[in-house]
Parts: sequence; C-alpha cells; structure tokens
Amino acid sequence: MNDPFAPLGRALATRAVRYLLIGVSGANFYTHPAASRFVTDDYDLFLPLDSANLVQAWAACDDAGLELWLTDDPLDRPRDRWLADQVVARRALTRASGPNELLVDFTLVMKGFEFETAWKEHRVFRVEDADIPTARLTHIVMSKQAAGRPKDQLFLTTHQDALEQLLKKPDLG
Amino acid sequence: MDDELERVLRGLEKAAEFVKTYRFEMTEEYLGLLARLEAMPQNQSGADKSHVWPGLQAYRNSFKNVRLLPRKP
Repeated sequence: MNDPFAPLGRALATRAVRYLLIGVSGANFYTHPAASRFVTDDYDLFLPLDSANLVQAWAACDDAGLELWLTDDPLDRPRDRWLADQVVARRALTRASGPNELLVDFTLVMKGFEFETAWKEHRVFRVEDADIPTARLTHIVMSKQAAGRPKDQLFLTTHQDALEQLLKKPDLG
Repeated sequence: MDDELERVLRGLEKAAEFVKTYRFEMTEEYLGLLARLEAMPQNQSGADKSHVWPGLQAYRNSFKNVRLLPRKP
C-alpha cells in the first residue's frame, strides 16, 4: 500500500513550494513503533501568505492529478497570481482531493503561529521518496489548544493519555 | 422507549453537555512528554515515515467486515 500523499509531496518539492504538514496527520509522524496513532481523513498543509507560493502549490496539485476546490466549488481557472491574491487576502482555504480518498487542505492560518515561526523549527520526514516538511509536534499541539474546538480538545486529551501510556514503558525510559 | 435505550441516550446527552464546558489545560507534564517524543531518534529530520499511512489504513480496513450481532436475550 502506497501513501496517497507521496505523489503530491514529490510535486510540491519539485516546485519548491514552502509548506508545513500540521494537524493530526503531522502529529502522527511523531511516532514510536509502540505508539498509538490517530485516525484522520485529511492532511493539513500550512502555507505562508505568499501568492506566488500558493500558485505553485495549486500547480503541484495539477501535476499530481488532484482536483482543487474552494469551499464546495471547483477552484476557478486560470489559477493565477490574481486568484491567489484574492485567496490570500481572505485567508481562504483551498482543498485538493484525489485517489484513495486523499483530502489535502491548504490553509494560510495556523492558530497561534506565524508561518516563519513554525518554519524555523520544522523537521523534514521522508515518505517513500518524498521529503515532507512537518511542523514541530509541540507547535501542532499548542496550535490545537489555541484553536480550542471540541475535536481539538478531544485530540489533546487522548494524545496526552497515549503519550503517558507509551513513555512510561520501561524500555522507553 | 426501551429502558436501556433511554439510559444510553441520557448518557450521550450528558456527554454532549460536558464537551461544551470542558477545557483542556496544557501542563508542564504534557509539554515534557512532547519534548521526550520529539527527542527520540526516529523523530529527527530524515526519519522514514512511510509506515504511518499503511498502518492507519490497516486499522481502517479492520472495521470493514465488522457486523452487528443480535443481542442475546
């Protein structure tokens, strides 16, 4: 089974798109073989407020054969700098969908963090042959606490419990 | 209404009310756990995470053949 995100990860890297994987998908990368993981239906990518970068992200979706959406409608064409300026000005979210139920949200907002702040401490994980820039786990968790939605509260409570169970195992010290 | 069903529905209502008022508190202990996980060798840049999605997919698939059994009298 191949990770459906990997082709997009490669396309984003080819186009030198700046982004960070955040959210539950990002938290799931901070693993130990004995660790619990959290089921999520989508990948959240945090992008800087940079229209040119966003245009390249959309183009990478085309390269990877993904559909792009703005709310419930297909994202207009041409997907150019003007359109990206409008999306950036509104901090709007665009979503890509593709095979294997892949859903990817391109967000311009990470509650509690500016892009450059999170970028300074990011890590790069490898999925198949794709490099995936990923926000620091502590930043992902702090952002979820700042967002404070019921689903974030549930995640934080469950995540803390899972870490307590994992890290008290003797072989993990 | 069946007594047990009514009891379950009351429980769900209570849980929904609790969620509205619950606020997760960040603690030094949790931050310490996060720091320990981040410091592990398998969580440094360059680490291979190709196993994460297949693991989750296997978990999802494990529910595909689940069926509800009739309750025993």
